[in-house]
Amino acid sequence: MNTFTRSLTAGFVAIPALFFAGCATTQGVKSPAGVTVTEMKPDERGFVVGTGVESQDLVAVTDKMARSIVGIPEIARATAKPYIVLDPVVNNTRFPINKDIFLTRIRTQLNSKAMGRVSFLDREMMKTLERERALKQSGQVTATANPNVVEFRGADYFLTGKLDGMTTRTTAGTSDYVLYSFRLTDARTSEIVWEDMAEIKKQGLEDAAYR
Amino acid sequence: MSEPVRRSMKLCYMHLLIPPTHASFWRQLGLAALLACSGCASYEGASSGGAPGTALGPAKVSSADRKVASAAARDRVLFDYRAAATALRTGKDAEAKARLDDAIALIGGIITNSEDAKRARSLFSGESEKTFIGEPYERVMAYYYRGILYWRDGEPDNARACFRSAQLIDSDSENAQYKADYVLLDYLEGLASVKLEADGSDSYQRAQERAGSRVLPPYTPTNNVLIFAEYGYGPRKIAAGQYGEQLRFVTEDSPTHAARLVLDNGQKIVPLPAFDDLGYQAATRGGRVMDHILGNKAVFKSNVDAAGNVALVGAVIANDQARRRERQGRDGDDANLAAVGLGILGLIGKAASAATTPNADTRQWDNLPQRLSFATLALPPGEHAGTLQFLDRSGNVLERRTRTVTFTVQEAGRDTVIFLSELKY
Repeated sequence: MNTFTRSLTAGFVAIPALFFAGCATTQGVKSPAGVTVTEMKPDERGFVVGTGVESQDLVAVTDKMARSIVGIPEIARATAKPYIVLDPVVNNTRFPINKDIFLTRIRTQLNSKAMGRVSFLDREMMKTLERERALKQSGQVTATANPNVVEFRGADYFLTGKLDGMTTRTTAGTSDYVLYSFRLTDARTSEIVWEDMAEIKKQGLEDAAYR
Repeated sequence: MSEPVRRSMKLCYMHLLIPPTHASFWRQLGLAALLACSGCASYEGASSGGAPGTALGPAKVSSADRKVASAAARDRVLFDYRAAATALRTGKDAEAKARLDDAIALIGGIITNSEDAKRARSLFSGESEKTFIGEPYERVMAYYYRGILYWRDGEPDNARACFRSAQLIDSDSENAQYKADYVLLDYLEGLASVKLEADGSDSYQRAQERAGSRVLPPYTPTNNVLIFAEYGYGPRKIAAGQYGEQLRFVTEDSPTHAARLVLDNGQKIVPLPAFDDLGYQAATRGGRVMDHILGNKAVFKSNVDAAGNVALVGAVIANDQARRRERQGRDGDDANLAAVGLGILGLIGKAASAATTPNADTRQWDNLPQRLSFATLALPPGEHAGTLQFLDRSGNVLERRTRTVTFTVQEAGRDTVIFLSELKY
């Protein structure tokens, strides 16, 4: 093999090396595919990124709240069945959510677990109910009882809640902490007779294509 | 069909008819392939990255179903954005909410282990392969619009959540000076807090720092009418650089620099100055991680193209060497082999370079405004009518853009949210 051919053969080796130099488009990029979201303990230090309020959080939180309420003396050892009104949950996080769903689930869990020891008043229906009562009072529709008697029940307690959040964002990702707190307030004395909370922290890092 | 391809096909056809000698056949075939493929690596110019059938030309009929279906999936958020803006401006709140919620369900999450994102990062697929979620200024606007609709529905806390998420998205800027620098997002967050009987002073202070010399109106919780206004035409994305690997933004400064709402036959004038500029926000976002990836692709494309050229030149030289040796009566098979081998390598290099796509993704939410404004006032419940005037840089009214406005202020208990836009769709 002469010198010229040896030179060309060397080219066979060198040129493919040039071809593939720089193949790695994500060279120098950390975690190019991102990092799968993981659930962290609230007091555990994480490395980034966050996610919002999700259905499994709703289930876990409302289950805990329902179990907690059922056991309080005002419910468990009440001489008369207490009446509770749901007051809208306040969202103080960065995640727009369906707030009603939290209290709805707590209510359904309580109705299921409390076995008649507590009743809820449907204040959302008040306008509709008042209209119906007015129709009965005016005689436009029939009534099985005296429509002039005030039978709408007053609340013994108000059940409400609040979602608070804290967010951290760095080049390593985003971390979100959400504190779910609920309380039962005595309608007569304004005393908070029950309060409980749940906290969830999440973090993650999105794919490099979106950073 | 290009001229080199025609010539190479002619050569191949001739060899089918005229049995060649061993050495000359491989030589001619190699040269034919070289002619066919040389010059394949080229940059075809900027692309608007629009949906198939629009800026890129008509969609191919033969693969239309599969292509549109896949394009629709990865462009879904883009379609949601555009449709939501149009719906909001034409008074179709339900549709706007549905579209925005669909988009936010994706953009509000953390996208990881995505196959199309992986393809977008690879050498031979463009960035537009990834599912579109938009640049930060686009995602901010999705949350901003959704926040307006939440407030209109009597949910200032959810509106506040949207403004907070939007500000967080803007915190991803390369330069710290431009992180979370929207004036309105902080201001609205604070106002929502005040409406919820919480403390909005920190948010107001942040907003005022961002506003600089412009003095923001103090919060007046009793003002029951909130006016969100927008005007001008938003930024456009272009692909710059040798191979279109650099994402850049161009904003044509709109003649409209401010607006005002004139009510009660001129008795009440509500100024609507510009607090935020989307062109500014787009341009100050800074570098992305994807820019680094696209830069690597561009380097690879350039390198293999250069290496391919070297190999092809080597093939020509080797071929010439072989012929010289044959004329001298010496064995030229080694040189022939080298010529063919280098030719094949050259072809591979040129093909690889041609297939490498470092183009930046220029899909864009193209019906965004340039400037955002906001004001509040107190009005009694009932019907109100007025005139919306747009002003130029000098404060003169742009008469042709003036329009009449009518709205109904709701009974006490819920804020009335009015959305005014210079853009019709």
